[in-house]
Amino acid sequence: MSSEFLLEIGTEELPASFVTQALGSLKASALELVSQARLGSEELEVHTLGTPRRLALRIRGLAPRQTDRNETVMGPPWNAAFEADGSPKKAAAGFAKKHGVTVGDLRKKTTDKGDYVSVQVHEAGRTTGVVLAQILPQICQGITFPKSMRWGPGEISFGRPIHWVVSLLGSDVVEFEFAGVQAGRATRGHRFLAPATFDLDAASSYETALERAHVLVDLTRRKDRMMEGLLGAAESLGGVLAPDAFLADECVSLVEEPFTVPGSFDESFLELPDTVVVSVMRDHQRYFAVRASEGGALLPSYLNVVNTAQDPETIAKGNDRVLRARLADAKFFVQEDRKAPLADRLQKLESVVFQSKLGTMGAKVRRLQANARALAERAGADPAACVEAARLCKTDLETLIVFEFPELQGEMGRWYAMREGIDPAIADAIRDHYRPQGADDVVPDQLVGAVVAVADRIDTLVGCFGIGLVPSGSADPFALRRAALGIIRIALEGPIDVDLRQLLEHAHAAYAGDAELAPLDDVRASLESFFRARIRAMLKDAHGGDVVDACLGAWDGASLRDLQSRVEAVSEVRAAPEFEALAVAFKRAFNITKESARGPIDAALLETGAETALAQRFETVRDQIREATGARRYADALRLVAKELGEPIDRFFEEVFVMVDDPSVRENRLRLLGEIADTVNGIAHFHHLGTKLQSRDSSVSA
Amino acid sequence: MTFQELILALERFWSERGCLIVQPYNSEVGAGTFNPHTFLRAIGPEPWNVAYVEPSRRPTDGRYGENPNRLQQFHQYQVILKPSPLDIQDLYLESLRALGTDPRHHDIRFIEDDWESPTLGAWGLGWQVWLDGLEISQFTYFQQCGGMDCKPISGELTYGLERIAMYLQDVDDVYDLQWAQGIRYGDIYKRAEWEWSTYNFEQADVDLQKKLFEEYETQVGVLLGLSDKKGKGGALQFDRAPLERLALPAYDAVIKCSHYFNVLDARGAISVTERQRYIGRVRLIARAVAESWFAQREALGFPLLDVLDTGAAAQ
Repeated sequence: MSSEFLLEIGTEELPASFVTQALGSLKASALELVSQARLGSEELEVHTLGTPRRLALRIRGLAPRQTDRNETVMGPPWNAAFEADGSPKKAAAGFAKKHGVTVGDLRKKTTDKGDYVSVQVHEAGRTTGVVLAQILPQICQGITFPKSMRWGPGEISFGRPIHWVVSLLGSDVVEFEFAGVQAGRATRGHRFLAPATFDLDAASSYETALERAHVLVDLTRRKDRMMEGLLGAAESLGGVLAPDAFLADECVSLVEEPFTVPGSFDESFLELPDTVVVSVMRDHQRYFAVRASEGGALLPSYLNVVNTAQDPETIAKGNDRVLRARLADAKFFVQEDRKAPLADRLQKLESVVFQSKLGTMGAKVRRLQANARALAERAGADPAACVEAARLCKTDLETLIVFEFPELQGEMGRWYAMREGIDPAIADAIRDHYRPQGADDVVPDQLVGAVVAVADRIDTLVGCFGIGLVPSGSADPFALRRAALGIIRIALEGPIDVDLRQLLEHAHAAYAGDAELAPLDDVRASLESFFRARIRAMLKDAHGGDVVDACLGAWDGASLRDLQSRVEAVSEVRAAPEFEALAVAFKRAFNITKESARGPIDAALLETGAETALAQRFETVRDQIREATGARRYADALRLVAKELGEPIDRFFEEVFVMVDDPSVRENRLRLLGEIADTVNGIAHFHHLGTKLQSRDSSVSA
Repeated sequence: MTFQELILALERFWSERGCLIVQPYNSEVGAGTFNPHTFLRAIGPEPWNVAYVEPSRRPTDGRYGENPNRLQQFHQYQVILKPSPLDIQDLYLESLRALGTDPRHHDIRFIEDDWESPTLGAWGLGWQVWLDGLEISQFTYFQQCGGMDCKPISGELTYGLERIAMYLQDVDDVYDLQWAQGIRYGDIYKRAEWEWSTYNFEQADVDLQKKLFEEYETQVGVLLGLSDKKGKGGALQFDRAPLERLALPAYDAVIKCSHYFNVLDARGAISVTERQRYIGRVRLIARAVAESWFAQREALGFPLLDVLDTGAAAQ
């Protein structure tokens, strides 16, 4: 019958992200050390629990004792340990002593590398409690945090100061010391509702005992309880909870027992944009918003998740006051901001530094307009609207509300623009040009927003690369990786294609007079490889790194959608059953002709049979394949290749020997294969594709 | 509870728990941390338990006396417990009880808030303390000060006195606070807020502030004998022996530099890139003072190791 083990480390309030990381590392550390210590069993189950004030670990299915250890341990080479006559040297005695045996117990073991000393070690398994006492300090040392701190004497480092440690195997204390604290059975309840120290009877009663002390130690249960409270409270306010997964995770990690306290604010604050009200409540106060219906209007109420609710009226009153002051500030800012139109802020942007070597935001905005015009013309967007959106897109940075709530940049610009009667397409673009903000954000769905978004990002990329600010390792202060990914995603998911080459050229030219950039060719070279790396990273999971490489190889670096079509087409044929043989054949054709000259094929030199068959078939489909490729119908092109050339090229390699002695025949064959390889390479570089069968001519390519 | 009763209650509370009660620093500081009773005493092995009020100047926060919550000068109540006792959170909560606030009837939470002063080369980990959604205190375990690792660690408690008083007196406008019976906060400070806001934002002489910054910056080097040469790994070098350096006057010059920088910032006279340079300059001289202070105390044999009982505040 196996016992349950419990470890609890009591601390001062840990931040949410600390608890998550600490519990993950605690679990990994425990699993590793428990199995290393031979305490595991089939039923081993390791579970972590935690609140801001405690990190806990529960292990079920521990073996009652370690399994015995029987193994042969190898020692020094035999002749380093024994004289030729068999008498022991120092090394033999040392090795024997280390393993608690006599020299007479040492055996000779013959291996590939020679004769070695060995000894048969037998170690009886010890009881689980004894072993745990030994490994627990190490398990605890395996706990990691995003940031550690020292306290008091400053000797120990942990996420926050440690106050107590509980360590129980069944109902027995497993004694050990961690961070200067002796483990025992004494724990504490809720900081305010059950502050006294109390003893736990047994590991198995941990959760119930803590629940009585107002601590829901299981995160999932605590969150369920919290959500239940929130949903119920929203309903009694006559509305629905505005869901917010991030806020929910944050709130549940700030309490040991969740209570919901509703509060309210004056209805006049609802004249503010929703985003401002929600931002004040969420980012500054961690309140949930309540709406009249799903996606409906905000109610003048909020829901606050708190740790104690002895006196909800007092708590609501205090929180109402804080929220009122913050909303009053916001309202004041909005009123002030609306006294002048957005365009009045352009002048101020002239004195805001974009980057010290790249000039002011005012200059950036002028470049954005130039870039936007060029892009708009190519994308079929309204150039006047795009230029105007580019002109206004940064003006809200100079409003009081954005200065106070930087996270509302773009949103507030849009809101002010709408109230000024500016074309909604332009107003939307002021907001949308910041999209996508990250991997989870959407891309702009309208033309104008997409154009300005691309114009803004390419300006930053070209400027930074042009003065040598290239991201390295984790250092990417201008978020250039995100900017490049944004452009790629807008082209692949949004309403406009992007011609990267032209884009780079325009953006570089736009800097003339504003800043000294490295020459276009240098910037282009480094940015193109930067983009290629981002594209690869972005598409490799869905399509496979080799497929992306194959397409990047054939791509001219211009249209991003062209690249996408290639990737999708290759991805599709790759799934077909005949692909494998086809890929091997084309790889072979590529490898064998890599170094050889191209030129016209002399029909007279073709052998009858497989060679002529291949040449003739190729002759009939070549133009069709090239036409499909030129029209970016890559799937069609690949289907033609597979259908028309698959069988003949296989047969060719079966029957024809390429590297014959006669130089003219050999060269003619290489020219035929070379032209086929080039045609297929125009779609994608098949030699990058991983195949299970290795090309038989791989030695040729070496 | 009037504003001055609030101060008196905290003075009594921390005095009874073994803290020295000292007076605000007589120079412009942005926070109680700048007071040498915190910045310098947090360095080195000597224990130190102290509490004081600090009128703190934040020129950019001025609102001409028109905003009910913002001031260019406000009052912090600062407590340093070094080494930080294990029951420091309990002590803090008890102090709230001494102000008549029973934590069980409110929502009190410790919300992660790491603190960093780039100019002082100091940082720490800790929380802001929320009382019913209102941030009333900063709670920090100092990890580094003047670029030097702290050991032992000081626990710093900073009470925002105006906010706490507004909560206790149930007023929405800071100028309506009762400082003493019959005298409002506004009677004392409203005009001052307008004058200082006007000065900081409009009339402070930019050239003069820049010049003063540079003069005081130079003084630090002179008073410490700071060499232009750097040692291995950028280590600071001094031409004067530790006890010949005037660390305290030099530290005053650091405080002045920091203040003139803040005024220039409020005046909008510092561009984004210049800003980083100014901060770097103050950090360098703060570090020179911190290292000199440490070297002095070491040369003196860390005298307070014998004088102060390290556990005094915890009793």
